Amino acid sequence: MFERYKNFIHGVSGNAAGLWGVVLTTTSFVGFILFEVARLSGILTNTYVGLVTYMLFPALFIIGLLLILIGWRRLKKQSGRTTAELMKQRFGDNQTKAALFGSKVFTTIIILTLVNILFIVAAGSRMMAFMDEPVFCGTACHSVMNPEWVTYQASPHSRVKCVECHVGEGADALFDSKLNGLWQMVSVTFDLLERPIPTPVHQLRPARETCEKCHWPDKFYGSRLKRIERFKKDEASSVMFTTLNLKVNGGSLSQKGGIHWHVAGENEVRYASVDDKRNEMIWVDVRQDDGSFRRYTNKTISDAESNHEDSRILDCVDCHNRATHIYENPGYAVDERISRGILNRSLPYLKREGLKAVSADYPDKESAMRGIDNQLRGFYRNNYPDISRKQGDIIDSAVLVFQSIYSRNIHPEMNIEWGTYASLIGHIGDGGCFRCHNSNLVDDAGNTISDDCTLCHSILAYGSESSFKFIQPADSTDPNFEMHKYLRDEFIKSAGL
Amino acid sequence: MKPIAILLAVTMLFLFTVSVCASPTDPAAAGRCMTCHKEKTPGLYKQWYESQHASHKVTCMDCHGAEKGEADAFMHEGGLIATLVTPRDCGKCHTREAEEVGSSYHATAGHILESNDAYLAHVAAGEPVSILGCESCHGSKVIIDANSPNKLSRKSWPNSGIGRLNPDGSQGSCNTCHTRHTFSQAQARQPEACSKCHLGPDHPQKEVYEESKHGNAYYTNINKMNLDDDAWVVGIDYYEAPTCATCHMSATQNMKVTHDVGERISWTLRPPVSRNKDNWQTKRKSMKDVCSACHGATFAGGHFYQFDAVVKLYNEKFAKPAGQMMKIIKENKLLENPAAFSNKIEWIYWELWHHEGRRARHGAAMMGPDYTWWHGMYDVAQHFYFKMLPEARKFKNKELDNYIDNLLVNDPMHSWMLTETAKLKKDIRSGKMQEVYQKFFDQN
Repeated sequence: MFERYKNFIHGVSGNAAGLWGVVLTTTSFVGFILFEVARLSGILTNTYVGLVTYMLFPALFIIGLLLILIGWRRLKKQSGRTTAELMKQRFGDNQTKAALFGSKVFTTIIILTLVNILFIVAAGSRMMAFMDEPVFCGTACHSVMNPEWVTYQASPHSRVKCVECHVGEGADALFDSKLNGLWQMVSVTFDLLERPIPTPVHQLRPARETCEKCHWPDKFYGSRLKRIERFKKDEASSVMFTTLNLKVNGGSLSQKGGIHWHVAGENEVRYASVDDKRNEMIWVDVRQDDGSFRRYTNKTISDAESNHEDSRILDCVDCHNRATHIYENPGYAVDERISRGILNRSLPYLKREGLKAVSADYPDKESAMRGIDNQLRGFYRNNYPDISRKQGDIIDSAVLVFQSIYSRNIHPEMNIEWGTYASLIGHIGDGGCFRCHNSNLVDDAGNTISDDCTLCHSILAYGSESSFKFIQPADSTDPNFEMHKYLRDEFIKSAGL
Repeated sequence: MKPIAILLAVTMLFLFTVSVCASPTDPAAAGRCMTCHKEKTPGLYKQWYESQHASHKVTCMDCHGAEKGEADAFMHEGGLIATLVTPRDCGKCHTREAEEVGSSYHATAGHILESNDAYLAHVAAGEPVSILGCESCHGSKVIIDANSPNKLSRKSWPNSGIGRLNPDGSQGSCNTCHTRHTFSQAQARQPEACSKCHLGPDHPQKEVYEESKHGNAYYTNINKMNLDDDAWVVGIDYYEAPTCATCHMSATQNMKVTHDVGERISWTLRPPVSRNKDNWQTKRKSMKDVCSACHGATFAGGHFYQFDAVVKLYNEKFAKPAGQMMKIIKENKLLENPAAFSNKIEWIYWELWHHEGRRARHGAAMMGPDYTWWHGMYDVAQHFYFKMLPEARKFKNKELDNYIDNLLVNDPMHSWMLTETAKLKKDIRSGKMQEVYQKFFDQN
């Protein structure tokens, strides 16, 4: 059998193209088998190996087959012989002699073709499966997708595959995504993309269909206690607590709900925004019980500007726009690491100095790593020589943490800086909830959409020294007495205590 | 009266004041304000939190709470409030201060629209400058605009000028000096509180102060000024230097603090020709009382002796003759263009008294030598002799020429121009020249 194969490949590699074709098909075939066996037996564990096994080898294999065909045709053309003559010459009489199931060459070709088809189907299905793996999405277009890959891995959805949200179900969605991927390959190859890449708000899958596979509105009931630790820029990086009792329930027909009222039951909110950033609303419609809509129009936008045809029904991503690819705010990022205990705030001015280090402007990642290192070590060396000498290991680990904060969020090669991709959840400045809940949007009767703080959350601590400050009775000598009392009463009332 | 009765009376008065001043509004309202504004305007909240107001339980609605019918009242998050806080609002607790401010010259600054200053800005520049250039110091009438979110017209808000004309009829704005929302007395006592407006070519009080020994001593000893002290009596609670507030407002051992800044000023140095203010002797006495915290009576008296002579010299030698020339020009209708300030000589005369004339007088008032002479009377003289007189001569009017000739020939203060230098120097050395000016000292 092997003799027959040897004879065959000798026969087809009559010129350079044929030879290369044989080399490519054979090595990629053998390579694929070897790598796959190695992976299955646990010898190869590198996550990137799939790129070689399932993308490179099958591709090379097909290229090799094509080369063999090209080589054969060229050979035929150059020699000017008929196929029968050429075959006789390349494979010998013995191989081309007619037999019961055709000549030996013919049966070899049939067998090899069957093997090829089997291999291509197997490799192809492995390839498709591999393309559904996050590691493919994250690393195939490494330079461009790296920021999304990095932030995804650090996100609460890191165990959910990219394709589960980005590719819908069914052949249509698969076809769309492959077509889209093809275009992306072209735009990466010829550098046609914008940096930073604008959020592709129109290409996203319908959020409700996607998100509600796991998170459905009936699930949003009750309230959620959120305790946020923030740290001051003083020497001790003192802690301040803000504790919110978030009213996240969706409500029911009989009862007005909390934050998820927006997507609960028959409720519908739709809006038109000035641009795709969806930061400034032109109008917001709210469906009434009778099915009509009440419109709140932005009085700061003149009619000329508001000539905007597109409107959109509010769904999950209008607030949870960064549920996965989360880019942090530098101050909050530092606070979060201190809060989790991976930064040790026994180091004086840790918050202040760390924040300074991560939020400085650096031309590239390498100088950022160096700069962060210099900033922190320099500060402690100059101002706290004792600590610098004796607690070098704490400083070392702090430097690493600050560097990782930078690496996670800042991607100079894609022009991603602090704040490039803002989150719309909650509210920072006039963003988030305040895009609609503000005094500029008014209905015909002049009503606005409430922006009362306690509409969405009770406040149990607010930059306070203890995490449930306002649950305690208010102290009448405290300047915040009135606020304290108001918030305490509100919580008691809204929690039905 | 027996001590116990006095104590009882004082206690009653205290309780009454507390009950009047203590928040008449729903405490929950202020709690709501703070909750939201701590997030939305954290700076404002923190300023208030650090303020004396916060520690004395004066909260949002105590100042911003409005009553139905007030022109600038509007509904905000379920409460009727007004953005504008007027001296009348502050006066609910700070009664004496509000009264003093109301009767002070500061409170009249908003009537500027009738004055030449505003005319000039309106015609030579335009309304935008009039608003930001003139009215932000002087204050202007607060215009109600029903379409504005806080009912205040954007042309008249922001508006923190010292003579703001408020919709409730009161005049002035406390936060001109006591910057919101800290309303700190320390801040109002520093010269910078005044120098938002009292500076520049036409009234360089800040620059004169900085040039003077008083300013020099202040900036050297700024940390010893005890600016946060409640009483802040000069000579007792601090003694290194006076600030603007020390001399014009603050307490001495004999006087209470006053919010009428004119109460210790004996001259008005503002108009073309200076004159003594009503009751100027009393006012002079009050000012000398401030001086006496650090200076002997002879020293302080000597200063006013020298200062008064400069003012009179300016009045008699330049201000009155220049004014007389302008009168002749107008009576004879010599001006080419009809509008005020459309002719060159009007600008020359204006700067002579409004700019350098004031610089000289302010320099003399506050011990600034350079402002008295080089930035002051030197410029006045140059303007007078080499800008105003040549411009006046151009009219070729007999009456005007006669007036100028007479001045240069017969007025011993001006006849130097037609005299030999050698003779003048001799007269200076002999004291004869000085005799010409002796009259300005003699009248004191």
